[in-house]
Amino acid sequence: MKGYSLMSFSIKHPKTVTAILVIFTLLLASLMVKVQVDTDPENMLREDEQVRIFHNQVKEEFNLNDFVVLGVVNEQHPDGIFNVESLTRVHELTQFVRNMHAEDDPAKRVVTRNMIAPGTVDAIEQAGLGQVSFDWLMKTPPANAEEVERIRQLAMNNPLLKGTLVSEDERAMGIYIPVSEKDFAAEVRIRLLDKIETYDKSNGDQFYITGLPVAEDTFGKEMFVQMAVSAPLAMLAIFLLMLIFFRQVKMIVSPMIVAMMSVLCAMGLLIGTGHTLHIMSSMIPIFLMPIAVVDSIHILSEFFDNYRTIGDRRKTLEHVMGHLFMPMLYTSLTSAAGFASLALTPIPPVQAFGIFVAIGIMLAWLFTIVFVPAYIMLLKEESLAGFGVSKTSSGGIHHGLSAFLKWTGAFTYRRAKFILIMTLAVLVAAGYGIGMIRVNDNPVNWFNEDHSIRVADRVLNSHFGGTYEAYLVLDSEVEELDGAGVVDWFGQGLDRLTDEGADQQVVDRAREILAGESGAGSTEMLLESLRTVWEEEMFEAEDAYYDSWGDVVNLLESFDSRSEVFKRPEVLEYLLGLEEHLVENSEVGKSNSVVDVVRKVYQELYEGNEEYYRIPDSIGGVAETLITFQNSHKPDDLWHFVTPDYRKANLWIQLREGDNQVMQEVIDTVDSYFAANPPPVTINHQWAGLTYINVAWQDKMVFGMRDAFLGSFVIVFLMMTVLFRSPVWGLLAMVPLSVTIAFIYGLIGFIGKDYDMPVAILSSLTLGLAVDFAIHFLERSRATYRRTGSWKAAVGEMFEEPARAISRNVIVIAVGFTPLLAAPLVPYQTVGIFLASIMAISGFATILILPSLLTVFESTVFRKIK
Amino acid sequence: MKRVLTFSFIALMFLAGTLSGSEVEAAPQIEEIVDKANLAAYYAGDDGRSDVKMTITDGQGRTRNREFVMLRKDIKDGGEQMFYVYFEKPSDVRKMVYLVHKHIGRDDDRWMYLAKLDLVKRIAASDKRTSFVGSHFYYEDVSGRGVEEDRHELVEETDSHYVVKNTPKRPGEVEFSAYTVWIDKETFLPMKAEYLDKGGSKYREMEALKTEMIQGFPTVTKSQMRDLRSGGDTVSEFNNSKYNIGLEQDIFSERYLRRPPRVVRR
Repeated sequence: MKGYSLMSFSIKHPKTVTAILVIFTLLLASLMVKVQVDTDPENMLREDEQVRIFHNQVKEEFNLNDFVVLGVVNEQHPDGIFNVESLTRVHELTQFVRNMHAEDDPAKRVVTRNMIAPGTVDAIEQAGLGQVSFDWLMKTPPANAEEVERIRQLAMNNPLLKGTLVSEDERAMGIYIPVSEKDFAAEVRIRLLDKIETYDKSNGDQFYITGLPVAEDTFGKEMFVQMAVSAPLAMLAIFLLMLIFFRQVKMIVSPMIVAMMSVLCAMGLLIGTGHTLHIMSSMIPIFLMPIAVVDSIHILSEFFDNYRTIGDRRKTLEHVMGHLFMPMLYTSLTSAAGFASLALTPIPPVQAFGIFVAIGIMLAWLFTIVFVPAYIMLLKEESLAGFGVSKTSSGGIHHGLSAFLKWTGAFTYRRAKFILIMTLAVLVAAGYGIGMIRVNDNPVNWFNEDHSIRVADRVLNSHFGGTYEAYLVLDSEVEELDGAGVVDWFGQGLDRLTDEGADQQVVDRAREILAGESGAGSTEMLLESLRTVWEEEMFEAEDAYYDSWGDVVNLLESFDSRSEVFKRPEVLEYLLGLEEHLVENSEVGKSNSVVDVVRKVYQELYEGNEEYYRIPDSIGGVAETLITFQNSHKPDDLWHFVTPDYRKANLWIQLREGDNQVMQEVIDTVDSYFAANPPPVTINHQWAGLTYINVAWQDKMVFGMRDAFLGSFVIVFLMMTVLFRSPVWGLLAMVPLSVTIAFIYGLIGFIGKDYDMPVAILSSLTLGLAVDFAIHFLERSRATYRRTGSWKAAVGEMFEEPARAISRNVIVIAVGFTPLLAAPLVPYQTVGIFLASIMAISGFATILILPSLLTVFESTVFRKIK
Repeated sequence: MKRVLTFSFIALMFLAGTLSGSEVEAAPQIEEIVDKANLAAYYAGDDGRSDVKMTITDGQGRTRNREFVMLRKDIKDGGEQMFYVYFEKPSDVRKMVYLVHKHIGRDDDRWMYLAKLDLVKRIAASDKRTSFVGSHFYYEDVSGRGVEEDRHELVEETDSHYVVKNTPKRPGEVEFSAYTVWIDKETFLPMKAEYLDKGGSKYREMEALKTEMIQGFPTVTKSQMRDLRSGGDTVSEFNNSKYNIGLEQDIFSERYLRRPPRVVRR
């Protein structure tokens, strides 16, 4: 066997082997200098993914940016936020962020012109008799109470601002800071926090910063920091535990080295092959470490248990490696297969993660079988003195563990059926729990409850219409007209002119001309000749007929602007209905659209009379309202809501919660509204915005993970069947991991923990780790059975070294990852809890269920082995 | 006479042909340059008429058009004057009218008539530096910024241009910190202007793209305003420009908002 001879080679030439490994590792690790960090969860989707292309298209078309939301809240002052001091600060902070850009890259900047702040938005106000005025809401900080009152009134009376810029309870003001690149968001937050730090907050001002780009970018950055803290801490914990078990520092250094080398090589390869270091791949070390030490612990554990009896390290090693070689190879292969299956998911960072963890696992295996023996051989024989247990004289933790395992072994033999019935009961309950699993995620919830972003998210969303953005883009379809259709269209237009009071003589003459030209070859030719003749008539008309001819000529323009759907009153009414429905029937806190602009301006055109807070009756009325709006400081603001050709509209939807589930509900509400209320013209709708993007990649993630998991389940089963050369044994090997997975996911369902990104990814880890113990246990069971001839005799032996090795592994890794529980980032805690649970449950499942099964089905499963 | 310099480029078509630079021997004083430029840009003839086509292009290259007829009558050269702007396109705002009574030393009176809604609205004085019907030109560019509102400084004299830097006397009222104008030495037409924001960087830029001699008046027939921040721009083309056509003063009154005068017809 090649691998085996490799192992013998390293026992013979430990120095050469060590040198080669060190050089190999250093070479790969040196590739890491090329590292490129990528903290954008959007990259969970391929760049050419339809959802993303559309999202970017929408952002460009409607000139939208992702917002960092800075909220200034005052709960203390009787007038809330509307006091001189607070507003002065709002002004100061606005000035502070206005032209902010990254030091090293001016392209990463605050998009000043799209900022929403009291100093950057126009107030539409009545400026005395018959006047409408557009003036900055707060050009300079207010000097006195009257000026504050003016700002308050203007803001509170503007539905475009209320709920967005200023909270309805008048306690909070929001500054929406658009960033050109999402990965500038964390820096904006930090610079603002520094600035805010200098304020005396005794007047009750509180400052909060949130928004998805901040959450995502900050998370990415904190994650890397966390990585640098958690991974070494976990290493340390594992090291200390091994020290307790094996008491020999020199011995336990070797698994640490194996883990280090595997991590360095895997990361070096990842970066060296041009992959970015994404949030996902930054987790590689923490996944790789426990898996990398598992095999070494098996070797050490057995070496520890056998060294005293055999006495010679070389012989002990040969003995230990002899029966561990196959199980180690297979445990590594299965774990690798579990991770490699992630390559089947449609999510690039997950693919890279899976592939490189798999590579890391196989490297760890190689290092284990080559390096650990070489390392033990390099130690002086004397330094091993005192290593290992003598079977008679061990105490403390070892004694306790041994005694417990002995008892467990006997229990599984006596109460096999009871254990199996209990297992079934657990499975049934787990199945029920799995049914309750809630797929949901929200990047803000990746932070601890008390993280300032999470707090800001809570506070600001209780005051405002919502800090989570989604964009509902409506795209109209206008039917093409053929020649006869065009003539009809103009005929109807002329009828309408009569109704509107145009001169009948003019209309009749126009109709005559239309009839005369209707034979024109193409639509273009018809329009061209109509224009020529009608305009001629207009220019020559008497004063009394001039206007009516103007109306007739206008029909030509109206024909061209037929496609300007989102100027039509009936279409705007439809939009309004949809918006009202959303606010009433879903978590939408506020929605902003061209409808709000039209209604607000229309109202102001009529002296602020509330009766005119509505959509004008005619398309011309809407057009004049819109052109009035374009007389403001920021006429382009209109193009956030409609395209200049008025064929597409954008509903900017503010959500108070960013949970994917909430977003999904809104999507469903919109779909059902469209189904139940057909729009007056054909309108297609599609979503964009970060909150929606998260739903999109979550869907891919959940189903991708599920498929990858099922695929690897089948692969592992086939591998087990090959390893044991028996489908029955293959099936047996799958039992502990199936129970473990069912148990864990059942538990997640029961306790109501959301099935989110970290949980989804961990399912692959479960598979890889949980099968390990079963392989070791079954492999040894068969060997022991062959020797003893009966399960009853074998069971006692199984609960000596083999069970001890498993238990040590369980304890080392489970406890080793507890430092993760203290991490401020929730996904880390999840990983910590998961690793501990996977190890504990699969360990228990292996040493309880497998022997019980072997006891009950002894005659069937061992038939061939006898 | 009040010193008035403007860079209102829609009105650039109204030129004073009498102010030919060739007649000026020595370098004139800054006040003189500014006054002549103001007259050249806004006060050509006693009155005038032009068909204006504006093409508004946004940062994404999407374009929109505005077409209107512009009438102007001077009460006094360099002093009070009146503008009547009648919209033809887009068709859904046809018959919309914008009327200005420009005053010196006090705020202009401005009206907007919305024909479809049949509403006459006064436009507040504070709106001068807001967009003119969605274009990159401001209202103030249409009828002119009062020369007395800025301090002027001749920063450079080239072979062909006087380069004048203008700093607002009341910086709180405007969004720029200063602007520089290149005034043609021959015609005294402002050929180029650059606006600096409060941070001192250039964000807005006007250029006269084409000038013609009409009835002896040098006239800008095509000009462009660029918004350097958004990447958008507006091009104004002036066609069928005529001067001294004998416009009645009462055309420029509220009465004619609802019933446009025949002269707006082509």
